[in-house]
Amino acid sequence: MLTILVSGLASGALYAAAALIYNVMFSTSKVLSVATGHTAMLGGVFGAWFISTLGWPIPIALLGSVVIGGVFGFLTDLIAIRRVLARSDEHLWLLSTLALATMTQQAVALWWGTEPRPFPRLIPQDFTVGLADQKYWLPVAIAILMALGLELFYRRTLYGKLFVAMSEDAFAARARGIPTDRIRALSYVIAGAMGGLAGFAAGQLTFAYFALGLTLSLNGFIALAVGGLGSNTGALVGGAALGLLSAVATYFIGGEYQNTVAVGLLMVVLLLKPEGLFGARNVRPV
Amino acid sequence: MVLLALVTLPFWAGDEYKLHLAALIGAYWVLIGGLNLVIGYTGQLSVGHVGLLAIGAYAFAILAGTHGVHPAVAIAISGGIGGLCGLLLGLPSLRLPGFYFAMATLAFALIVSELILAQTALTGGGVGLSVPGFPEPFDSPAGTYYLILALGALVTWLTWNVARRMWGRGLIAVRDSVVTAQAVGVPVFRAKLTVFVFSGITAGVAGALFGSLQSYITPDTFIFELGLFFFVCIIIGGRGGIIGPLLGTAVLTALPELAAPLAKLGTFFYGLLLLIVVLLVPEGIGRLFEIVLERVRGRKVDSMPVSPDLARLSAAVRADRAT
Repeated sequence: MLTILVSGLASGALYAAAALIYNVMFSTSKVLSVATGHTAMLGGVFGAWFISTLGWPIPIALLGSVVIGGVFGFLTDLIAIRRVLARSDEHLWLLSTLALATMTQQAVALWWGTEPRPFPRLIPQDFTVGLADQKYWLPVAIAILMALGLELFYRRTLYGKLFVAMSEDAFAARARGIPTDRIRALSYVIAGAMGGLAGFAAGQLTFAYFALGLTLSLNGFIALAVGGLGSNTGALVGGAALGLLSAVATYFIGGEYQNTVAVGLLMVVLLLKPEGLFGARNVRPV
Repeated sequence: MVLLALVTLPFWAGDEYKLHLAALIGAYWVLIGGLNLVIGYTGQLSVGHVGLLAIGAYAFAILAGTHGVHPAVAIAISGGIGGLCGLLLGLPSLRLPGFYFAMATLAFALIVSELILAQTALTGGGVGLSVPGFPEPFDSPAGTYYLILALGALVTWLTWNVARRMWGRGLIAVRDSVVTAQAVGVPVFRAKLTVFVFSGITAGVAGALFGSLQSYITPDTFIFELGLFFFVCIIIGGRGGIIGPLLGTAVLTALPELAAPLAKLGTFFYGLLLLIVVLLVPEGIGRLFEIVLERVRGRKVDSMPVSPDLARLSAAVRADRAT
């Protein structure tokens, strides 16, 4: 039973990381990118490739994964967001990020293969340690670190404050002389780098698998909607709740109903508290 | 002309594979025609209709195959089940805003394939089920083709009727601005739900046709990419029309079959196409044709000259002065 809870918490931490990435992108652009989970997928796949195939040392491979994630984030903004946001406020970004996510996933499937491949050990550790295994605590540590880092970034740095200003009102921020396009690109680079880091850290839990992206986009979104859009605390709580619930449900009623349980949680929360547990109640725009 | 070509297709298509392809396009169109009302007219971006397709196909396979129900009845029942599942899916999810709705339908597609895998006794699990064909006179490839052609024409006619009347205008209003639609008295939720249930029914029927064409179905037949394919057909064809998505369906189904390199890239190609269309011509390929036509023919500008009746006007002014 303890194993179930620990592994549930670990995958919950990964969902929480995806929710944090959603939050970073949402703060500056009001866009929920379908390609969110794919940043983490790229981090995992490229991490495994760097270490196992190319034989890079682990710190360099980690840096490589983060850079790949950052570049992917930048490309997301460049290809799928910038032109679409400049054109209108229609929901076209949903289509463009969906297209980008599909292309990324299929490109990785063609290049990497459709079988999940193992991710190498990062820290020398015996396989017999059981619950203290790094594959469980690494994602949790990374998710908490990322949430703390974001909090510091928002409160202590000028760029962080610009993010907050843009999330309040991008138009007013622009009128105040903030280069909103550049800040948005920066936020996508940061989000992508976070994705690369999360995917690298959780690689041993998820394996280097091309279809991870879509699952993570969905589950990260559920964690985000449960916790409340825009709230980092909510992202952590939502991710942990979703991971634990899925694990317990798998234990009691079988692994076939994992998605059903996750969506059930989403529906219950949306019916009871549509803005999520920690979300700000938003006013209907007219 | 096109109609004549479609009706006589079995006589000049040559080999049976092309006929099968045409029938497949027809089966897809039965679903996409209904889905077009949801995506193209109402602007609800559902990516999960592959789940409804799977439900229709499995309902048909279980009813007609396992229980020996007459296929015509089975098609009707699978349409009904598709509609019912559409209602169950639509009731909670259609209240959600754009991205939430898309994610809910995506999750629905995943849940359906999960349930199909889990209910081994009913669906055969990962092994799959064989699907019976249609009885006389539809048992030949040509017969199946005509059946699908008739159903496709029926769906086209139904959606066309919806689209051009008051309902269609209301749906477009919901797509363009929910608040405005509400203000002018469109029952937003009811309109969305009705259209969604209709698309569920067509998806169920399409599932029955599709399953019968495939003759053997497993959960892997209904991968998420298939749902994406339906979605891309409509977006590429252009939202807010019927001809555009119809052409999109035909071209996108036939293209990978005719050009082998594209088949290997498969879904990547659909993603690329979607991206290009969204970035360059968000109105769809249909809009491109219009632009080219305008270039060739010159744009037709509506002129509405206003010519006041001067004599009456001055008479009225004079009469006003006199009093």
